[in-house]
Amino acid sequence: MTPRLGNMSPRLGDSRSGKLADNITGFGRTLRRAGVPLDASRMALALQAAQWVDLGRRDDLCAALETVLVSREADRAVFRELFDAYFRDPDMARQLLAQMLPTAQGRAEPSRRRPRVNEALSPPKAAAQAGAPKAPDDKIELDAAMTASEAERLRQADFNGLSASEYQLVERLARRIALPVPVFESRRTRAGSGGARIHWPGVMQQAARTGGELLHLPRLRRRVQPLPLLVLVDVSGSMERYARLLLAFLHAATASLPRHDVFAFGTGLTDLTPAFRLADTDAMLAQASARISDFAGGTRLGDSLAQLRLRHARRLLGRRTLVLLISDGLDTGEPAALGRELAWLRRHSARLLWLNPLLRFEGYAPLARGAIELHAQAHGMLAVHNLSRLEDLAGSIAAVLRR
Amino acid sequence: MLASIDALQQALAGVGYLADRRLATAVFLALKLQRPLLLEGEPGVGKTELAKALSQVLQRQLIRLQCYDGLEQREALYEWNYAAQLLHLRVAEGRSQGLGEGDDAEREVYQGRYLIRRPLLQALQAPAPGAVLLIDEVDRADEPFEAFLLEYLGEYQVSIPELGTISAACKPVTLLTSNRTRDLNDAVKRRCLYHWLDYPDRERELAIVRAQVPQASAALAEQVASFVARLRSAPFANAFQRAPGIAESVEWAKALVALDTLAIDPELASDTAGILFKQREDVAALTHELATELLKPDEA
Repeated sequence: MTPRLGNMSPRLGDSRSGKLADNITGFGRTLRRAGVPLDASRMALALQAAQWVDLGRRDDLCAALETVLVSREADRAVFRELFDAYFRDPDMARQLLAQMLPTAQGRAEPSRRRPRVNEALSPPKAAAQAGAPKAPDDKIELDAAMTASEAERLRQADFNGLSASEYQLVERLARRIALPVPVFESRRTRAGSGGARIHWPGVMQQAARTGGELLHLPRLRRRVQPLPLLVLVDVSGSMERYARLLLAFLHAATASLPRHDVFAFGTGLTDLTPAFRLADTDAMLAQASARISDFAGGTRLGDSLAQLRLRHARRLLGRRTLVLLISDGLDTGEPAALGRELAWLRRHSARLLWLNPLLRFEGYAPLARGAIELHAQAHGMLAVHNLSRLEDLAGSIAAVLRR
Repeated sequence: MLASIDALQQALAGVGYLADRRLATAVFLALKLQRPLLLEGEPGVGKTELAKALSQVLQRQLIRLQCYDGLEQREALYEWNYAAQLLHLRVAEGRSQGLGEGDDAEREVYQGRYLIRRPLLQALQAPAPGAVLLIDEVDRADEPFEAFLLEYLGEYQVSIPELGTISAACKPVTLLTSNRTRDLNDAVKRRCLYHWLDYPDRERELAIVRAQVPQASAALAEQVASFVARLRSAPFANAFQRAPGIAESVEWAKALVALDTLAIDPELASDTAGILFKQREDVAALTHELATELLKPDEA
């Protein structure tokens, strides 16, 4: 089958000129600007894929390019919006052009596309000059209009990078206070004495050396691995002062664990795991800032846990995940709902540990409504009073993990 | 043999797998570009079934590698038959001719007939027209295993220290499935084409139910498809932890036929909720009122 030119009437990507390759690479670049990870080999593959479909059928081309260029569910929506804008809809392209002209700004219908897509579609120069600072502003206005009626106070987290002394402190603490994450015997094995299974390749090597005589049987033992760890960090108003350094410390301390997921919660849940995958602590803080939209607001632990249950339940691996909840338990949500969610979390985790950095009182007792529920459900709990230094907090995390 | 997307779609339908056009396109490209296809999606949307259907359509042998935590090379690729090897050594010893020195001994013991072929190797060595290899639930295996797959996925070859590199005579059609218990490594994704399998729309689900449960009346099948489609969409979906998959709706239709149902009523729906949902909370969430709401005829 040879590529045929169909009846598309593209504005931005004009395939009638016969420059299909240019169009697809141009589309790929746009896609990359929208944050979809792509490399050159993918682009080459996309060109190959386009040879195999009937270009007259837009949906086929879309499906073909999606199959090749997208590799995460999360990118699908962006891909389709961009595809539509890029390959067909002249109206949308016109609208877009109108939006880019400053005089037409007032009249242009507000685009329904997400800011990422708009940013990617605008010429790179404009994006660099005006788009970058402007686009987030626009978005905030829009958001403000939509959520004005809601009483909750939402704030974008704004973590600065670490100063040199802070960085040293975090590094030193992470080295000195190793997180004592309990281990389990995994199903993977390695050669070692005292195991139950026989290490056959080792046996053969020995036998070949001694002409079939077995002097002793090498054994396999199970590899020991730390339990998967899931950390839930409270970033609501009452925990505001600690959030930044706490995240920095957790980042440094969990770097060596094979599986860890980190979520921040306030009124909602934010998945910080992608941010924590970054090697650089400052980069992690910058990305965490961008992700957390409910910083220093109220605490709705019940709602946040419900989100965890509905969207991220699969992160809790086979009831063997260690869940560490760092919160002062001053919850403003419905206590009964919180109790239900906590019971679910307890059932689905190996251990549910609660670190309570209660900053206010000396003789603390878990009397706040949320705290009562937490106290009842957690496998282990540690309250820390007069927490003024990160060192104490780091030590407490280690202590609660030992319980 | 499968010259177009349409032909593939029809062929799949011929063996009872109703694929939508996007999926058919993805599979078609995987065949033409000879790339592995990574299928992600909720449980019960037909990821594994696709591999079965594809093996029927292509008339290739289906080889399945079920992944699990701790899966290792010796279960996925090959293992030596150690008992037989030892026996070989002892017999050679007994004949008192002894083994040859060094290299000879190795060659004698590590020969093809003492090799136990596991799924990956079976797929590579399958005689023409080759095999369909299903690497099922790859997210259940751990990350080192993914790294081990890279050579296979990229080059359709594996390296066995004792035998050297084995490459495929006929490149196996390779499907990977994942339920997304974790994100797969980018290196794996780079080597694969990708398709996210959604729940089917109402019409496709209806067609599937009718094909799988021919005993069900048209009206009943319609009702099942509408009910489940609504259940999965907002605002109802939020009431449940896990929406039922296609497998569940087919099971449910079968159950309703077994109960001689002519039309579903709310009571029956909540009584049989255990077929649609596998969690106590979800079963409880399908109350009489909710079922009534879900069974309301379409407004359109």
